[in-house]
Amino acid sequence: MKKIIFFLLGIVCCVSCSNESQVAVYEPIPMVIETPSNFPDISYNLDNNPITQAGFELGKKLFYDGKLSSNNAIACAFCHEQAFAFTHHGHNLSHGVNGGIGFRNAQPIQNLAYQTSFMWDGSASHLDLQPIIPITSELEMGESLSNVIQKLSAEPYYQEQFTRAFNDGEINTENMLKALSQFMVAMVSSNSKYDKFIRNEDNVTFTALEANGLSTFETKCAGCHASSLFTDQTFRNNGLSINPQLNDLGRYNIGNNPNDLYKFKVPSLRNVEVSFPYMHDGRFTTLEAVLEFYNSGITDNGNVDESLLKDDGTYGIDLSDYEKESLIAFLKTLTDYEFLNDERFAEF
Amino acid sequence: MKTLKFAFALLLCTIISACSSDDDANNPEDLSGQNGTLTLKFDNGVGDQDFIFGTNYNKSNNESYKVDNLKYIISNIRVKDSNGNTFMYPDENNAFIVDEADANNAGEIYITLNNIDAADYTEVTFGIGIDQERFALGAEGQGDFLELAEAKGMLWSWAAGYKFIRIDGTYSNNTVINEPLNIHMGSVGSSLDNYKEVTLSFPNTVRVRQDASPEIHIKSDISKVFDGTTTVNFADGYDQVHVDAVETPIIATNISGMFEVHHIHND
Repeated sequence: MKKIIFFLLGIVCCVSCSNESQVAVYEPIPMVIETPSNFPDISYNLDNNPITQAGFELGKKLFYDGKLSSNNAIACAFCHEQAFAFTHHGHNLSHGVNGGIGFRNAQPIQNLAYQTSFMWDGSASHLDLQPIIPITSELEMGESLSNVIQKLSAEPYYQEQFTRAFNDGEINTENMLKALSQFMVAMVSSNSKYDKFIRNEDNVTFTALEANGLSTFETKCAGCHASSLFTDQTFRNNGLSINPQLNDLGRYNIGNNPNDLYKFKVPSLRNVEVSFPYMHDGRFTTLEAVLEFYNSGITDNGNVDESLLKDDGTYGIDLSDYEKESLIAFLKTLTDYEFLNDERFAEF
Repeated sequence: MKTLKFAFALLLCTIISACSSDDDANNPEDLSGQNGTLTLKFDNGVGDQDFIFGTNYNKSNNESYKVDNLKYIISNIRVKDSNGNTFMYPDENNAFIVDEADANNAGEIYITLNNIDAADYTEVTFGIGIDQERFALGAEGQGDFLELAEAKGMLWSWAAGYKFIRIDGTYSNNTVINEPLNIHMGSVGSSLDNYKEVTLSFPNTVRVRQDASPEIHIKSDISKVFDGTTTVNFADGYDQVHVDAVETPIIATNISGMFEVHHIHND
């Protein structure tokens, strides 16, 4: 009799144990994202989407999963590689499914929680909704949200991880987008040489060239590339000649407002050393070419930003050779090797 | 004897009237804890005609149009009862796509609202499109709606925004025949808010009870999209309406005037 009871007890234990290991539960373990002391306040509303370990992990998995695209091969990470500040290494325009080629240069993914709009033309006004654009673009990932959800629902990993990450545990668009945001909100680049210099950390000092570059930057560039984000988040026409093949009207596409013709969002300059090529269409491959453009290459396309108007009535920012050299030295202090090599964001 | 009969009659009258007055004043129908189902039936038409895909409809200025795609988003539905209390349908489920392609043979598209507090309702309010507050929440509270909107072609993928109404077809006038007609109106990010709300009174009270599921028959006059508060012409650029800051608010206002409650079914 005793033996039978033990035997039964054993069975009960086994069953309860195996149950525990199989059934995933919601794991609301918070992941704290601290705002660096030299940053402005966070724009992303964390109350609606608190970051958890499980949500971050889910977001990372989704970011690296080709199933978000129609041919199951083009993940977000395809155009957003960590080593290049999550840009599409060397490509002027993004490549997508079925040989599609996008219209613009892939932007870095960093400090997005501090941004109020996304994409070169600001077409996404909330970080959660931004991924819909590349996922559903025929030229990029060419997939539908419902198909993505269907594919994810079939996978045991996602069945468990959505349960761990969200209270309702549902595999739906809302939770998928929230997970992607949790991953992206955590992607903060704030430990470049510049940051440490500004925050007086680790006895970091600037060379004379870097210091002169910073000083030139503050006089001639920081009007638009403002704050520790290195963007004032406005949309401006910087006088690039119009590429007739693309004829990209910029922010004009959003509201058909003639004042918005050829305007693009002022990009952050963090990690600019590794996020080449530059401009919305990736037309400049080096920082030297960018600075020479501001010095001598601006085209009056009818709507150039006032801040670029010179006393003689032409557009541009006069830069001597030394100023260009020092500016580039300064811009390289914005490279954040900790961020570029942070294993939390790496695929493997 | 006669007196007795009269006295009985009087007594009876007193009892009856006493009882009935008791009912009215001290025993009102107890609705607490009761809820029921309310159905909004959307019935698209063009003026005094039923709306039918591919049929040619005339508008002002010798222009005409045929439509083969007609959808709009209805959200934030709430009803007001005879005591002035408003019942708001729960936010997370309060966005719907009325798609003519989903209509029954009578051309009606149903929005069924469950768990509505039992009451006598006198008016309904709803929005056309998605309000800025909801949109600003990002993924929060969208549930499956983004997916549904995308599947229904009501999402601008390039702008991550909703199309509030979608009319696709062709138009003709004195100079052109069967040119493309595409009205895709929505809000544009946070810079252009085209969300509008309408309030419609009921011709008689709508009685929601545990055992009574009334239906509100709403007629939507599609002709008002073009000949509404403002008359617009395809020849003047209203054949293609997408994100224009002048055109879209005019269409949004016209659309907010196209709904009327035709009748109520209390059962």
